[in-house]
Amino acid sequence: MNAIIALSLSGIASLFLGFSTNRKNLLITTLLFVLVALGLNLADWNHEYFWFNNMLKTDNLSINFSSVILLSTALVVAISRSFGDDEEHTHPAEYYAIMLFAAAGALMMVTYENMIMLFVGLEILSVSMYILTGSDKRNLRSNEAALKYFLMGAFATGILLFGVALVYGATGSFNIHGIGEVVSRTKKGMELFEGGVILYAGIILIFIGLLFKVSAAPFHFWTPDVYEGAPTIFTTFMSTVVKTAGVAAMYRLLSISFPAVYGLWGNPLVWITCLTLIVGNITAVYQQSFKRMLAYSSISHAGYLLITILAKTPNTNGSILFYSLAYSIATISAFAVLMIVSENKPKDGKPDESFEALNGLSVNNPFLAFVLTVSMLSLAGIPLTAGFFGKFFIFTDAFSNVSPLFKNILVVAILMSAVGVYYYFKPIIAVYMKKGEIAEIQLPLIYKITLIITTALTIILGIAPDLVKNMF
Amino acid sequence: MIQLVFIAFALLSVVSALVVLLTNNVLYAAFSLLVTFLGMAGLYVIVGADFLGVAQILVYIGGILVLLIFGVMLTNQKGTKSQGRNDILTENTNRVIGLVVAAGMFGLLYFVFSKGHFAEVQASLFTDTPLKATTQTIGLQLMTDFVLPFEVSGVLLMAALLGAAYLSTKQK
Repeated sequence: MNAIIALSLSGIASLFLGFSTNRKNLLITTLLFVLVALGLNLADWNHEYFWFNNMLKTDNLSINFSSVILLSTALVVAISRSFGDDEEHTHPAEYYAIMLFAAAGALMMVTYENMIMLFVGLEILSVSMYILTGSDKRNLRSNEAALKYFLMGAFATGILLFGVALVYGATGSFNIHGIGEVVSRTKKGMELFEGGVILYAGIILIFIGLLFKVSAAPFHFWTPDVYEGAPTIFTTFMSTVVKTAGVAAMYRLLSISFPAVYGLWGNPLVWITCLTLIVGNITAVYQQSFKRMLAYSSISHAGYLLITILAKTPNTNGSILFYSLAYSIATISAFAVLMIVSENKPKDGKPDESFEALNGLSVNNPFLAFVLTVSMLSLAGIPLTAGFFGKFFIFTDAFSNVSPLFKNILVVAILMSAVGVYYYFKPIIAVYMKKGEIAEIQLPLIYKITLIITTALTIILGIAPDLVKNMF
Repeated sequence: MIQLVFIAFALLSVVSALVVLLTNNVLYAAFSLLVTFLGMAGLYVIVGADFLGVAQILVYIGGILVLLIFGVMLTNQKGTKSQGRNDILTENTNRVIGLVVAAGMFGLLYFVFSKGHFAEVQASLFTDTPLKATTQTIGLQLMTDFVLPFEVSGVLLMAALLGAAYLSTKQK
């Protein structure tokens, strides 16, 4: 909660810092703001508080999710140096302020106790992302992406709100614990429970709204275009922070409000999960652009995260957090390398984001090549990286669930992660085996530090996952 | 009597909403959207949400629609000027898909509301409150129980304002 206040205030403070002409100070201060918020967030550890008349509730789970979000935000801010550094983009203070506001919205989405806070948090995050997507004003693709994202996102939010209204009609409460109470009380003889149909429709509509935000399969059509059109730095933000927040919000709602009616939402979600895994992975294989491939890979990772939500075992908290963390840090290093390389190798005046842009990267830039390799291995789930244990925990959860349906999901998930290995190795092959000319790229210190942190974290979590897993 | 008024306002909203959909002239669409909002405001008042009805008129009709019409006025108009008119004309595309989606949504909601027995559910969950002006209650609630969402909406508006200011500034 204190972190949300701190982020909102520091967002305004960083706007005023825009008067200063020194961009570097702005970056350092924003980074500091995020770290302060991270500290304030951790200060609530082991205390369960209800804030402001049950509007928010901080518990260890929400603090963990908030920490993952703030850590991703800090890492994204740290690699945001090049954007806003040239003459064309002269408003870095605005981006940093909007990023801080977006992080505040994301924190609301993981700590909400009242549905109103979920809605407001989601809106803050979404509106910020629409702006950041279109922030490269001269790029037509960026404009198109922003408009597409805005129109579709506004509809998704409307549908979510409709679902909230229906759930309120069926249960008489906006409070997620209150909803859970009513739902479990009336669970017996669901057929007789008159609100059953209303509740069902409400849950489905809320699902559509939230699944859109995490880009799960039938609602993923915006993802590739928006991810490709947005400036890479904000694509990174979108694929880590927005996804973690969306999944956490969904998990919170389903595990607190609707565990008693698992039958109602379990079956549709199983199909959505399978579809997400299949669509995300199969389509990623055909992509020529590295950035677009990462967009489809982020769809497929939403699928893996949905498996944990479905599995509903006592370990779910730990698995979902570990997976979000592993996915976020690996994605940040992948996008960072893409950003650095593509900016140094323009094609037709724009950064070249195809796989060919990476050809021969290892010759003069062994460090970047190594970082990219580790992150790709982690996303593919190869042992000795964090991604392996993320997938391992998720599959174990799914396996320990007794429902036979889960064995089917597991088969799909394992097959699809095998497909994933194919396309995640494409950039590695390009980097090490293809011939190409990339001059040595001078990395600023802050990039080096960030990439070392993400890569080291990926490897450490891959060797000793219990370091973090037990904490959750 | 109440039912007649309800039907009148509902018809007003639906018909004018259809006009918004079917007309090709953006200005006509904007004006009939005004009628839609007016009908909605009437419906709000009928169900006892008087404050919401007035807010709807103030915010949507007084604010947003005027903005919309200004937007239409100030938009760069080309193409049709040669005929002595400078309307902004649009085309309706993807009619079939739109119809399918709308019909699906209508079917879902019709099913839900016809099966849902709203009256009975509400009787068991909500207590009857005497019909009175809601403004005072809303004001009190907004400043006590719901003060956090109220304040936090400020962050949302700030972000939106910032974005609007940024996106509309000229590049140097």
